[in-house]
Amino acid sequence: MAHWFHRNPLKATAPVSFNLYGIAGSPAANKICNDLRTTRARLLEMFTDVTCTPEIMKNATDAYFSLLQGFIASLDGTTQENKLRYIQNFKWIDTLQGNTASAQQDAVFELVSMGFNVAVWYTKYASRLAGKENVTEDEAKIVHKSLKVAAGVFKHLKDIHIPRLITPAEKGRDLEPRVIDTYIVQCQAEAQEVTIARAIELKHNANLIAALAFETANFYQKADHTLNTLDPDYSSKWRKYLQLKQHFYMAYAYCYHGQTLLASDKCGEAIRSLQEAEKCYSKAEALCKEYRQTKGPGSTAKPSEQLFFLKLGGLIKNTLEKCQRENGFIYFHKVPAEAPSLELKASYGLAEPVAFELPPVSDQCTPDVYATFDLTKGAKDEKAKPKQDEEVKPVKEPDLKPQKDTGCTIS
Amino acid sequence: PSIPEGMPSDSKTNKDGVLVDEFGLPQIPAT
Repeated sequence: MAHWFHRNPLKATAPVSFNLYGIAGSPAANKICNDLRTTRARLLEMFTDVTCTPEIMKNATDAYFSLLQGFIASLDGTTQENKLRYIQNFKWIDTLQGNTASAQQDAVFELVSMGFNVAVWYTKYASRLAGKENVTEDEAKIVHKSLKVAAGVFKHLKDIHIPRLITPAEKGRDLEPRVIDTYIVQCQAEAQEVTIARAIELKHNANLIAALAFETANFYQKADHTLNTLDPDYSSKWRKYLQLKQHFYMAYAYCYHGQTLLASDKCGEAIRSLQEAEKCYSKAEALCKEYRQTKGPGSTAKPSEQLFFLKLGGLIKNTLEKCQRENGFIYFHKVPAEAPSLELKASYGLAEPVAFELPPVSDQCTPDVYATFDLTKGAKDEKAKPKQDEEVKPVKEPDLKPQKDTGCTIS
Repeated sequence: PSIPEGMPSDSKTNKDGVLVDEFGLPQIPAT
């Protein structure tokens, strides 16, 4: 399944030194600042390191976030805001809007922006792993899990931390509800794609596959509709991907629903369902072409070149021919003008986000050390703030190398 | 806490009490 999933670029950020000269008034406070700088730099490195695994990513994330929480959580036993929350400026670019950076002097902005990238990393990791030759069952489980973890991180940020930002996200930015919601739903839908492939491989019944494909198509439709009020310049390509997946899984749903109808001797309706599957499949093919030709952020997937895509075309054709043959000498049913309505509810295989939890505040951040940060001494120090004209360069991401496609999605 | 029953495994049951695998699919394909 190389090049099966569309991926937007990672967010890029300006380096942060955490040089709180004067403010950090003890060796322990200085150590926190140094460790923040190094754990942040390491986490950023991990995003583009092809050898990084979910375990390494979790450790790197926990190392940084446990310290960063020392700038967010209340550490002096009161319910008041952490005095260090607004001390450091952070600059981030978004996944959709090229090099235009947003800056906020707020540790919560850093937490949500970095957390967002962690989630994007999980989706990219899943995509890379799914693109391997001969994906094993264990690898398929990791792909599935990674997508649900990513959905969980996005959801946690959206529900808990983004509402705490003083400056709300501008239109089209990653942290605004339309964009983050689309990422959440896309992750769930892609996790379900893995499940559909497995259900087919294990020959689960046609009704189960049709229902899950139908719900997955609906997820993609929902994700696409969520983006329809955004600027087409940066959302069109992503939307084409979501649309092509929607039509592809509608084709799956009609194809397998047709098999269920045939099994219950409703041959005329089965033919109509398969004809509808053909229509959806053709539309998905056309959308694949449009998607490739649409300019926009992100890596271009090539789903129509994948065996998983091509096989469905053959399956629809063969099943339709079988139904037509049987109708010609057994059933003699009239083929209805209207396509059967799919009122299918999936009882199996729906992917729920995995709940994400932040690590506890680092042991280094004790109330005593916190007390040694003296804000009254730092006001004159300009070094704590990055230069305003500093440009944020996009992240250089490793190539997603295509591999020979065997058509075996899960063995 | 109570003593766990049985061996830990990947198996879970869904809301209808059907044994499902890690993908949420029934343990026994019902084709």
